[in-house]
Amino acid sequence: MRAGLAVPSALLATALLLAGCAAAGGSADPSDDRRAPAAASAPPGATTGTPVGGTTAGAFSATDVAWLQLTVAMAERLLPVLDLVPARTRDPAWRGLAAGVADTHRGELSRARRLLADSGAPATNPHEGHDMPGMATAEDLAALRVADGPAFERLVAGHLRAHLGQAVRVARAEQGAGTNPATIALAAAAVREGTAELARLDRLDRPARAP
Amino acid sequence: MDRAATLSGTRRRLRLATAIGALLALLGTYVVSTTTRADAAPGVNAIRVAEFPADCPYSHRLPDDPIIFPGLPGASHMHSFFGSTVTNAHTTLPDLVNSTSTCNPRVDTSSYWVPTLYRNDVPVEPTIVTFYYLGEGVRSDIVARTEPIPQGLRIVAGNARATSPDDGSIARWSCLHAGQVPPSKNFVTCPAGTMLESYLDFPQCWNGRDLDSPDHKSHMAYPVNQACPASHPVPVPKLRQVLRYPVSGDPSPLRLASGPGYTMHGDFFNAWPVAEMERRVRDCIRPVIKCGADGRPL
Repeated sequence: MRAGLAVPSALLATALLLAGCAAAGGSADPSDDRRAPAAASAPPGATTGTPVGGTTAGAFSATDVAWLQLTVAMAERLLPVLDLVPARTRDPAWRGLAAGVADTHRGELSRARRLLADSGAPATNPHEGHDMPGMATAEDLAALRVADGPAFERLVAGHLRAHLGQAVRVARAEQGAGTNPATIALAAAAVREGTAELARLDRLDRPARAP
Repeated sequence: MDRAATLSGTRRRLRLATAIGALLALLGTYVVSTTTRADAAPGVNAIRVAEFPADCPYSHRLPDDPIIFPGLPGASHMHSFFGSTVTNAHTTLPDLVNSTSTCNPRVDTSSYWVPTLYRNDVPVEPTIVTFYYLGEGVRSDIVARTEPIPQGLRIVAGNARATSPDDGSIARWSCLHAGQVPPSKNFVTCPAGTMLESYLDFPQCWNGRDLDSPDHKSHMAYPVNQACPASHPVPVPKLRQVLRYPVSGDPSPLRLASGPGYTMHGDFFNAWPVAEMERRVRDCIRPVIKCGADGRPL
């Protein structure tokens, strides 16, 4: 096996490129993204179920922290979608659903942020700018801003179904694999509320097929 | 003054000539041995490259990430896994140590994973997958005191959340057998008959204490001025991930599960048997000798 490109010119190009890359930031700044330095270090071997810190009763595992961070990131992505609803549709049923889901998620968001602070994990959003499953992308949001009426409702329904489905899926996983009781309780509430919201959504908008 | 300038000019020319000579020697060795960075030292039969490889074909796909989302199956974008055949969201070090592997050598039961590449929404897996462990990127005296990568160490490289090619992405795309195509942070157009390839170098300076960190990055660092920074004083072999995909032509139907080409990243969960890793560092990396997958000099 060769570690390099197939011809010498490529070798040179790669060497120059790597040198340039090192100068451009790879070497100079190891934190090559916007993440803040970690507040705490995980102990060696930290992984599923291993405590990583925390001051409240019941230590936080890596799973708890990962789920809390994901929950915050997903809620922060969903709320701008829901905020568009009152301006883009007059249907009171859709407006009511959006308001209810937004309320639930604002509550979850503040509980998740408090628990993250308790856990001692970095306060920065490790998923900022990252499109994860169930998240509306910047392009999705742009499309929503120019749609209205039934076309808008169909788009919102799609995003809401993808978000709620993914949120319930990962909250169930946290219920099964998490450690911190308050975090597990928040996950249980997320499963309960998410399932109820999916049922409300299905009454408003019958899914044609799985998203 | 003039004399000094002439001397300095001569020295510059000499340096240039030396550099060109060294370059030609390097290229010559390269052509003869078809190795990459053979800085051949006279009188030594061994190829003077600090390197040992693991060839680890595709194993499986899952929307899981045992480093970023431990215990949360389905939380991640789709990943393609190489090496250990068992990796999922719940994987721990003992799971890997006791698993089988796609790697040559089989003893490497580490797990390596990347975002899945899609062409027109159909997954495409790389057909040539090599993880090189290298003694380079730091001064030769530092290479000579390289430490083995500790078992259980987790390393993440690249930026899955990159929002532009300049946003901290260090992965490079190029074409196998088409060096005229300049490497790029984003997908490149590879001529027919060649393969799209991705290069990614992992950080090689360890803080000597943590096998992972809350942001999964801060326990590792890239070298600064050819040395490991004081905060991360332990040099370990540099992991270079090289993936060759059976893809050429227009890259517009391509995307990664994490987004555009510049979101390429790699995750590594080290499960090499301690003795096997130690032997390779002792016999290949520190003495600067190119080894095969068996960890013996070529």
